[in-house]
Amino acid sequence: MDLLTTSVATGDSDGGPYTLVVLAGEADVTNSGALRELLDAEVGKEPRTLVIDLSELRFMDSSALHVVLRANRTMDRQGGVLALASPRDPVAKMLRLTAADQLLPVYATVAEATAE
Amino acid sequence: MTGQEHAAPLRTPPAPPPLPPPGDDATCHTYRTDLAKVRALVLQQARVAGLGEGRANDLVLAVSEVAANTLRHTRSAGTLTIWREAGELVCEVQDEGTIADPLAGQRRPGPDATGGHGLWLVNQVCDLVELRSDETGTTIRMHMAVELPGLDDGQRPAAGRLVRISASA
Repeated sequence: MDLLTTSVATGDSDGGPYTLVVLAGEADVTNSGALRELLDAEVGKEPRTLVIDLSELRFMDSSALHVVLRANRTMDRQGGVLALASPRDPVAKMLRLTAADQLLPVYATVAEATAE
Repeated sequence: MTGQEHAAPLRTPPAPPPLPPPGDDATCHTYRTDLAKVRALVLQQARVAGLGEGRANDLVLAVSEVAANTLRHTRSAGTLTIWREAGELVCEVQDEGTIADPLAGQRRPGPDATGGHGLWLVNQVCDLVELRSDETGTTIRMHMAVELPGLDDGQRPAAGRLVRISASA
């Protein structure tokens, strides 16, 4: 089984259309290249809102975080919003320690993230 | 600052003393790309040692970040050694990489930095981090105090300060 599995969906909410990327498993330096390709491709479609669902992500290291921060920077430049949803405790703590949670919004649920 | 002090030449601080050897009960594991295995081993040992779930996950993150540097900066395997000392659990990662900056990981990366968070995190989550590096390789020791039974997270010693609990002291 892959250490990190990903899926992408698009949806529509009161907040407008959005892209939802779901990450499951463990995101680390051994798969951050694949994660970068995935996010680059989705960010390249210039969605207004891109939500990354972290609820099934057991672990995230700093190289995965850097990929997310890069994607956030590009989304910013494009006038879009990248949001994170429902991180588990270890991932939430890591986002707090790196102050990444000050750079991009982190929501408790995907529904809250897409409603904005 | 007096003029005399100002004129004193800048000197490289003396090298820190060598680290004492690991404990006799140490568990050793050699890794190259399988960081999931490294994390699983640390989590298992942390639970056996009695670290709470949050602090066990902190140690997993720290060791994984250091082991990730082996992958990024060397072409050879790294060694993870885990052992118990009085009142603490110690994880040591050794590889052939060299860290030239003695203050590596002690400065907070800029808010939008897309690099340099790894060792910063290690220093944030561990109770004590010891780093030795020269041209032959790098050793990083991460210490976590094991809580006394009955102490919850709010009562444990503040992170960054190592408390040694020793019966023989």
